[in-house]
Amino acid sequence: MVRTADTGTSEADAVVVRRVIAVARERVFDAWLDPASLARWMTPCPGWTATARVDPRVGGSFCITMIDRDRATEHSGEYLLIERPSRLSFTWISVHTDDRPTVVTVEFHSHGEGTELVLTHRKLPPAQANAHREGWTEIVRQLTATLTGVA
Amino acid sequence: MMAANQRSLDRVYAAISDPTRRGILAELRKGEANVCALAERFPMSLNGVSKHLKVLERAGLVERTVRGREHRLRLRAAPLRQAADWLQHYQAFWEARLDALEELLIADRGAAATAAPKHPRAVRGRRRR
Repeated sequence: MVRTADTGTSEADAVVVRRVIAVARERVFDAWLDPASLARWMTPCPGWTATARVDPRVGGSFCITMIDRDRATEHSGEYLLIERPSRLSFTWISVHTDDRPTVVTVEFHSHGEGTELVLTHRKLPPAQANAHREGWTEIVRQLTATLTGVA
Repeated sequence: MMAANQRSLDRVYAAISDPTRRGILAELRKGEANVCALAERFPMSLNGVSKHLKVLERAGLVERTVRGREHRLRLRAAPLRQAADWLQHYQAFWEARLDALEELLIADRGAAATAAPKHPRAVRGRRRR
């Protein structure tokens, strides 16, 4: 079960990732807006480096470039919501989203002395997501078996 | 072409957002069907069903084969697989990033007892560790 501000239910048209981190919310939150920090954790793979440019205000943009040998992949977007230390939302655009904006929302909940982080990445803008979510959930259930068999 | 790719995914989502169309896909999952035979399973006119079929065909979810006067319909799952691939990619992407974030924060917590937070905004409201 996923707690999000919008729905309170898990969605089949969005990626949802949860993590409990034994560090206070403010520090976890700040790591998302600090370019020096982003450059370190937005590249966990050995051999990759990253650079980050951040304008940390609503309407401000960010750009994270991940570099592997001679290939650079850019991930960019704009901040939609900055509510320290509880909520952060931004658009996310990269070659993997066909250069179209998708929406990432990160919630930071107090969890003892640490933080429960819930990240939701929606492919569709929220208005469209509401209309399509029910259909998607049901059809994925119905066609799960078919997806593996039909060309 | 990337923009066309996204448009096609938009059509898939729009196609499956209607309960009748989901019903048609569920029927076709059982097997190929003749248009008239399929339409009989729904409480609406053939014309009504045809409109829904057009939307599904445009989305690439249903394929129509015409043999003389007979129209056969077949389900195509490829567009749904494409949408599912996106989910898989980003599930893995964010899982890996959050792993790295957690490692970094724990390591920094251990290493820096008194270091000031790097981000200027974090200076406000600095908390005890």
